Amino acid sequence: MSKYKIDASKGKKSAALLALSSAAMLLPALSNNALADAPPENIELAYRYSNYQEEATDAAKTFGPNSSGLSSSVDRYNIEINQFRLLLPVGDKYSLAVDLQTEALSGASPWFTGSADGKTKLVMSGASIKEDREDIAANFRFYASEGNAGISLSRSNENDYVSNAFSLDGSYNINEKHTTLSAGLSFSDDTIEPTQGLIPVEIIKESKNSTSLFVGVGQVINKNAILQAGLSYTRLSGYLTDPYKYRDQRPGDRQQWAWSLGYRQYISSADAALQADYRFYNDDWGINSHTLSLAWYQNVKEYLKIIPYARYYTQQEADFFSNNARLNDAYFADDFRLSTYGAFTTGLRVEADYKSWTFIVSGEFYDSDSRYGISNSNEESPGLVSYGRYTFGVNYTFK
Amino acid sequence: MKNKVYLLIGCLLLALSACTSVKPWERGVLAKKEMAWQLDPMESKLQSHIYFAKEGSSGGGQAAGGGCGCN
Repeated sequence: MSKYKIDASKGKKSAALLALSSAAMLLPALSNNALADAPPENIELAYRYSNYQEEATDAAKTFGPNSSGLSSSVDRYNIEINQFRLLLPVGDKYSLAVDLQTEALSGASPWFTGSADGKTKLVMSGASIKEDREDIAANFRFYASEGNAGISLSRSNENDYVSNAFSLDGSYNINEKHTTLSAGLSFSDDTIEPTQGLIPVEIIKESKNSTSLFVGVGQVINKNAILQAGLSYTRLSGYLTDPYKYRDQRPGDRQQWAWSLGYRQYISSADAALQADYRFYNDDWGINSHTLSLAWYQNVKEYLKIIPYARYYTQQEADFFSNNARLNDAYFADDFRLSTYGAFTTGLRVEADYKSWTFIVSGEFYDSDSRYGISNSNEESPGLVSYGRYTFGVNYTFK
Repeated sequence: MKNKVYLLIGCLLLALSACTSVKPWERGVLAKKEMAWQLDPMESKLQSHIYFAKEGSSGGGQAAGGGCGCN
């Protein structure tokens, strides 16, 4: 056994880092439906099975075992996800939604980048990382003709990472229900206790927390079109570094802004709807990004819907991103997530109704590349990811 | 940056100026599933989670879901 062999558990770094904040994710969308200020009429149960598979990294972009003794594994993450949902009307003014999600992950992820012979390559974590995550969330909501208000609690648990989050949100209709004002507030408190392997992790236990605020407005344009706009602000503080990445050192504070726009247009001649969403994001780490999502919701039969969709994402790198360690700088990260790149997602979703059941099949492919970005990339990260995901789902409504 | 904000506000005003009064009985289409901001909360939660885990930015109010850990 090589002295460099990495504890398999090392690789789950991503679990930790990814979990940077959950508060932002807890923020509710603007009221989900222009007219949804009424609790669900029936009990609903839903289940989804999803498989997420990252493409293996090109061997030319990784250092092999013969040169360093490190794993040459280029197989990246495979994740199986099970989601369960219970939506319960409570009286005639309230609802309770409970979501449970479990994930089982295996594979490897980038440990650090290095250069040799003028080429930048990845050194991957050990192979056969295994990890589980469980996530439970509950949302209690009150409905009135003027709007609705909700409170959510959630907890995500991994063996090295725990996140607890809380959020409040509300929406209020004005202008004879042509306009809806929304706001939300959420907090999260996360704790990371990295798994100690043969390669030392510099911390024993750290914490981070986040606070997010969201305001938005929705507008009925005409009987076939609606628009919404929103602004969110998130502040993260605490240990924002990825403990499983070699030499990773990030600021202990991060402020994020996101402006979003959404538009829905029903096209009666086609019995279809165009769904368009855009987001501009900016943070004080130097990252700017644009996200544009488009979907075409086609009613084929009363019981059959086909929804092709696409998404384009482009971001500009963080100020302290580099493929080569900057040992004299206060901050440094070679994480591909902080590099300059662009990404395309293309997907298809099919829904079929049968009596009280709805069956769902969907699949998508995500491809990222430094050349897809609208900003020029000084350094292409060799760690950029591409993945495929498919989902089978079923909903049952008790009528 | 400032210009972008002005452009955004301009677009919004333009859009709002095109608004017409829609009576409650004319709102059948707006209540359709295809007009929802989120088609499927469960799938949206998963997608947001993946993007949150694999990209450098997050937030924006289009995500509804909790927790994190990851892919």
